[in-house]
Amino acid sequence: MPRPKIVERVERLLSIVPYVVRHPGVTLGELSRLFDVKEEALAQDLRVVLLTGVPPFGPGDYIEVTFEEDRVWIGMAEPLTRPVRLTPGEALALYLRGAAVVGSPGLVEAEALGTALEKLRVGLGDDLASLPVATAESARPSGPLDAIRRAAREHERLEIEHYSYARDEVTTRTIDPEQVFAQLGAWYVAAWDDRAADERLFRIDRIRGVRPTGERFEPRGLQGLGRDLYSPGEADIRARVRLRPAARWVAEYYHVEDAAEADGALEVTIPTGDLAWLSKLLLRLGADAEVSEPDELVARRRELAATTLGRYPEA
Amino acid sequence: MEPRERLLNLIQLLLHTTRPLSFDEIAERLPAYEHEDRESAKRMFERDKETLRERGLPVITTSDPFETEHLYVIDRDRYYLPEMSFDEGEVAALFIAAHGDPSATLAFGKLMWGTDRDVLRGVLDTPPAAVDSSVERLFEVGAAVREGRLVAFAYRPAADTEARREVDAWGMAYARGSWYLIGRDRAADDVRHFRLSRITSELEDLGEGRPAPEDLDLHQGLRSGHWGLGEPDLTATIAFSPKVAAWALPQAAGAELEERPDGWILAEVAASRDDAFLAWVRGFGPDAELVAPPELRERLVASLKELRAAP
Repeated sequence: MPRPKIVERVERLLSIVPYVVRHPGVTLGELSRLFDVKEEALAQDLRVVLLTGVPPFGPGDYIEVTFEEDRVWIGMAEPLTRPVRLTPGEALALYLRGAAVVGSPGLVEAEALGTALEKLRVGLGDDLASLPVATAESARPSGPLDAIRRAAREHERLEIEHYSYARDEVTTRTIDPEQVFAQLGAWYVAAWDDRAADERLFRIDRIRGVRPTGERFEPRGLQGLGRDLYSPGEADIRARVRLRPAARWVAEYYHVEDAAEADGALEVTIPTGDLAWLSKLLLRLGADAEVSEPDELVARRRELAATTLGRYPEA
Repeated sequence: MEPRERLLNLIQLLLHTTRPLSFDEIAERLPAYEHEDRESAKRMFERDKETLRERGLPVITTSDPFETEHLYVIDRDRYYLPEMSFDEGEVAALFIAAHGDPSATLAFGKLMWGTDRDVLRGVLDTPPAAVDSSVERLFEVGAAVREGRLVAFAYRPAADTEARREVDAWGMAYARGSWYLIGRDRAADDVRHFRLSRITSELEDLGEGRPAPEDLDLHQGLRSGHWGLGEPDLTATIAFSPKVAAWALPQAAGAELEERPDGWILAEVAASRDDAFLAWVRGFGPDAELVAPPELRERLVASLKELRAAP
């Protein structure tokens, strides 16, 4: 049986060959980005194509592949001039990922993607027709997402007003936005932060008042999707908290360490550079979370409860 | 002849031929199968043919009129991708969807066959806004739903212990950054949502599932706000400080009523009598005041007093 890797490469060629036939002189760079394959691997595979054709191999039965610098042409590829259908797995992957994009808040492409997925559904027929997928209704606005994506694309430095939930303060900052991504239903931008002289992650729905500065920046290659939303700091405080069942969701949404089951509860360590957000989270969880350390955090929750009660004169 | 070459030649031969071919006819034309040992060559051909089928290529087997020999051909109608065209906006949107997943990327590459090169170049040159919707077993669950299967798995609910569930896979939903399977929980005899990230075992296939009712509402249970429990069943009035109002409101489908002289925003939000809703309000600390209804305000004040006095 041919090895899976080999079969994968053959499958890919069944789509790459027709693409090159249809787009004569396409560069290896474009093909590489379109099919997410390294240029060397592409060139190697296309040299194999050169040795094939419609058997028995009379003159003119071999596919012609021509390279010129980094451009490529293919001719005489008669049965392979149109791509092969999507496999059910591929259609499913694209469709589900597309549905997730539609269901991400405030993305300007959501509508176009909706029509594209509908075309897929009609065009591919039974592969997808019976797959019911719902996305959360009414994509809500997600702050200045479009403005920040544009700035990231054009390498434009921005001045932003940002509410930090962690420190509970509003600050104005100058940032070089590089990567925009969505994780756990919220949009983030990875940017160089002038004030901290370091890279920072900002939640886009907590950014208000984006002002272009007119200055350009040189991208530093910051990581986008796949990075940990929590970045450890040397001065981090390690809070130990016992989460009762109704509070277990915390372990799914925040970075926690050393989780241990204890009589239906979950004990976790939450490392944090700032107690401000954590005391608010604990105020939210109320009796469903119990702090074992540090003592300061217990005191902070009590104080926060008292301050909050200040909003209710009748109390 | 190396395997890539052999497979590509076989595909082209079976696509090009105007009539189904027997193995001997294939071996005559394709030297890769022209062995002295006919049986071992035939076995290699059988394996190749199965490989192509496993990858979804429509290799058809028929018989000759005397039924002495199998004949092979690729069904062109089922092989070629139907014509589909996408405008520039759709191309950009599909690229965002495909980005980061090998199967979806190959699908995108196939679909871009007829797209204008300048359009495509513009899209490929732009770093996409990336959406992380990946979760283990996403495609397995999708396939189970598509095939209408009954599946079993270990499930660890947010607020309960792990247990085995048997579920008729009816639909899927994506909400607040998470994927859910929707189906009938056999033991509970009721429609339930299962968050994929809480499935802790492989999916076990138990055969064909019962069909979904026609009036199944996949959105049911997804409408709740950020607190994530139950359906909103009433409207509450909350005042938010200017610091948090902008991101607090969208979390609970809030609508602004007025801006108070002190800059606070008075808003109506979707609420529920569930403790989880009060917890959500408490999470804003002194940046939110629950104004109405009085019943919820009283419960909130009582819970804050307890926390103020807590050891």
